[in-house]
Amino acid sequence: MNEKDFAAKLKPWLDRSATQVGELEATRLKAARLRALDAYREPVSILGLATVNGGVLENARYTLLQRGLMILPLLALVAALTVQSIDTDVDLGEIDAQLLTQELPPDAYLDQEFRSWLGSSR
Amino acid sequence: MATQKELSDFLAQVERRAFKQAVFAVHDDAAALDIVQDAMLKLAEKYSARPHTEFPMLFQRILQNAIRDHFRRAKVRGTYSTQLSSLGAGGDDESDPLDTLDVEDVGNVPDSPAARFEQAEVMAFIEDAVKALPDRQREAFLLRYWEELDVSETAKVMGCSEGSVKTHCSRATHALAKVLRAKGITL
Repeated sequence: MNEKDFAAKLKPWLDRSATQVGELEATRLKAARLRALDAYREPVSILGLATVNGGVLENARYTLLQRGLMILPLLALVAALTVQSIDTDVDLGEIDAQLLTQELPPDAYLDQEFRSWLGSSR
Repeated sequence: MATQKELSDFLAQVERRAFKQAVFAVHDDAAALDIVQDAMLKLAEKYSARPHTEFPMLFQRILQNAIRDHFRRAKVRGTYSTQLSSLGAGGDDESDPLDTLDVEDVGNVPDSPAARFEQAEVMAFIEDAVKALPDRQREAFLLRYWEELDVSETAKVMGCSEGSVKTHCSRATHALAKVLRAKGITL
């Protein structure tokens, strides 16, 4: 008898062995199958070019969201620094105080507008 | 792409065989159930976009990897015990057991309790003999002759050459035949 014939005779025994799985195991297998089916996501076609399962697409979206959230603090910091750098409001109170105590920095006298204002106010 | 029903039908069709395969490999029902569950989940999560005709091979590949992962984890935990095999290839017996083994068709479930008992005993012995095969031989034999994958598919699942598959299958078949003959078992 050759190998294939022998294996063919053994196969029904193995099949029978599989059908005689205990009730508990059969129930757990069924539960496992149902759990797997819960994880099934309807395949999604991307622009008709490729088909991926829904899980992959969902994961991709999740990853993008995750990345977005990760860089959010960095974006906030950059935004804060930018706002601060373009904030040109001058603290007028401080300038007045410096003017009164004559502690103006030399740069103030280089400012044409300041000089003309100073001249007109004398 | 496979529908949910196709996936469900496929899993229902293979779950018990997969469980048995895992039991043959890991000798532990609970671990085997976990392995099959992992394999089913992975197939559903990652490969549902593939045509259902590819499921048998994909599932077998996932299942065999899950079995290997089980052993890797067990090894890491330090609880891995080497399987004792009484069916190793290359024995002293030069004769071909396949030449002398009497094989009959397996009939239906016998009527008499005695015959039923005898059949149960034979089945238990066959299961033990399959369990006792070296890992690669058992894997090749079950994939090739139980799951009915062809040689090239079996080689892909096992990650080896087709020649290796043939060698493993031949050794496994001869080892099983030898053990059955020694026990005087007629299939």
